[in-house]
Amino acid sequence: MAAEPHAGLASARRLPRTLAGLLMLLVLVCVVSLLLGAGDVGPDRALAVLMGQGDAEARFVLGSLRLPRTLVGLVVGVSLGVAGALLQAVTRNPLAEPGLLGVSAGAAFAVALALVLGATATTMRVGVAQLGAMAGCLCVLGVARVSGARNDPVRLVLAGAALTGLLLSLTSLLLLFDQRAADEIRFWIVGSLAGRRLEHLLAILPSLLIAGGLTLVVARPLAAMALGERVASGLGHRPGLIRLLIIMAVALLVGAATATAGPIAFIGLVVPFAARALAGPDIRRTLWLCLPLGPLMVIVADIISRLLVAPSELPLGVLTALCGAPVLVTVVRARRMPTL
Amino acid sequence: MFLTKTCRLAVASLVALLAFVAVPAQATSVTTAYGEIEVPDAPERVVTLHEGALDTALAIGIAPLGAVTTRGGDGVARYIEAHLGDDRPAIVGVVREINLEAVLALEPDLILAPPRLPEAQYRLLSRMAPTVVPLTQGFDPDAWRSETRLFAQALGREAEGEAALEEVDARAAELAERIAAAEASSAVLVRWMPQGPMVMSDQLFSTGLLHAAGLAIHDAGLVQEGKPHSDTLSLENLSRVDADWLFLATLNEEGDEALEAAKASPAFSRLDVVDRDRVVPVDGQLWTSATGPLAAQAILDELDAALSP
Repeated sequence: MAAEPHAGLASARRLPRTLAGLLMLLVLVCVVSLLLGAGDVGPDRALAVLMGQGDAEARFVLGSLRLPRTLVGLVVGVSLGVAGALLQAVTRNPLAEPGLLGVSAGAAFAVALALVLGATATTMRVGVAQLGAMAGCLCVLGVARVSGARNDPVRLVLAGAALTGLLLSLTSLLLLFDQRAADEIRFWIVGSLAGRRLEHLLAILPSLLIAGGLTLVVARPLAAMALGERVASGLGHRPGLIRLLIIMAVALLVGAATATAGPIAFIGLVVPFAARALAGPDIRRTLWLCLPLGPLMVIVADIISRLLVAPSELPLGVLTALCGAPVLVTVVRARRMPTL
Repeated sequence: MFLTKTCRLAVASLVALLAFVAVPAQATSVTTAYGEIEVPDAPERVVTLHEGALDTALAIGIAPLGAVTTRGGDGVARYIEAHLGDDRPAIVGVVREINLEAVLALEPDLILAPPRLPEAQYRLLSRMAPTVVPLTQGFDPDAWRSETRLFAQALGREAEGEAALEEVDARAAELAERIAAAEASSAVLVRWMPQGPMVMSDQLFSTGLLHAAGLAIHDAGLVQEGKPHSDTLSLENLSRVDADWLFLATLNEEGDEALEAAKASPAFSRLDVVDRDRVVPVDGQLWTSATGPLAAQAILDELDAALSP
């Protein structure tokens, strides 16, 4: 920990360069995402389309299948990355992850409930998922607070795991009662980018804008809060209000991401971790780096999910969970649980 | 002793082969997965723990006292409803989880069980009543025929069972003539999901029937041996399920809604088969869960309706 301020200062100067490098990498990955898929349209035919030529089949696959899922991957990656960074900062817990804090499970449960009650409209799902996300998150934070040890990362994660388990079993229970919703709900238990369309993105645009605005507002006070709540109060910030705003932003972001792509595990955990490793502990720099890092991870995972079992596809949520679980274990074992 | 035995054999001529077995009065012997067992001659309190057994029993005119639910439902399959009299069977569990106490409460004198019934369950059930477990192994589109024969035999109505099978064959043959005349025979059965379809094996009960009715049903080479369906097919490869006919199984009652949902996907709506309007939404309970002669007739009914303009 002692070396970190220096590393932070050095990386502060490097930040624009790191950011530019990551953005270029992201552009590259997006192009690769357009070029590769589970189908017969290989890189050569896809490249022809990008050059403005190409056959009708290839144009369709790129324009109607690979482009939308890449864009959805961008949005979902940014949302989950930023939400993870905010959540880790506000809970002062490097293990906080939307999925681990009951946010994703809350969103999935809310959607299941809505489906069982007869809802099908896409626009409705976004709101429902976001409400569920917020409720799930507040529950976990409430439980962790009741137990009286806000700075104990493990306790928060345990509360989140318990609530996640509860919500998932309630979701299964709903499905048992109404198995006709089972087909639709499968998507809500394991996320995926396949078959998503641009309309889905339009539906979540408003909440993303609100969440983005909130993030801009809270970034500065949040950095002050990292110095301690008294310091933040002394600087004229109101920690209670900031926390509430952040929870709202996280719920909006995760709700939007879950509404478009279903629950995608571990992205919100790993991305801020990588960002902190690159940029040091300042939340503002972490947030900047989360912007390219989140989509980078989501889209790379999505490309792999297309190629692994072609001509079929793995759900993205399965892949991120498979990769994310070992990362979580490594992180927990490697460090003595740094507090933020 | 020898004399009486001979007398009984003369009466029960059906089991002549089993002369060396000491057959008690009024009993038949059938071959099950757990060996030869004796069943009562005219069972009156029958419990079916397998959709195909319920189907067969109803087809040959016996109303079971208890039955399990269909997959994805909380009662018997919809197509079965039409064949039920006033005495509806009590629900004694779901396929994978039988409520043994509910079975016992019905005081069965014969239990018709699904193939591959676990031995532990068999032991418990067979203490309540003779339990008939078919010998089916793996996926075989024609396994339901031997199951139907076995259940019919156990119920003491072999002739009726045979007749039900012949009716199905005749119906399939009649449809096959019409399909041959229409010259459009390739077909695929899928379950639609927003991420892409799961292609159903061509070794299932329903796909086997379509084959018997003259459709060249195939799984687009996507289903692994011994699996009921493929993994979720990538939308990029959707053209692989393009065929003369596409059967869209859903567990929802609203098949048309499922079709609309599928059509919302650009990859689906550009299939030739959608263009030609030959996508047929079908009842997933019936097409992917049920077996038996009544189910066969119901599936052929749906096929008939699809063929008729």
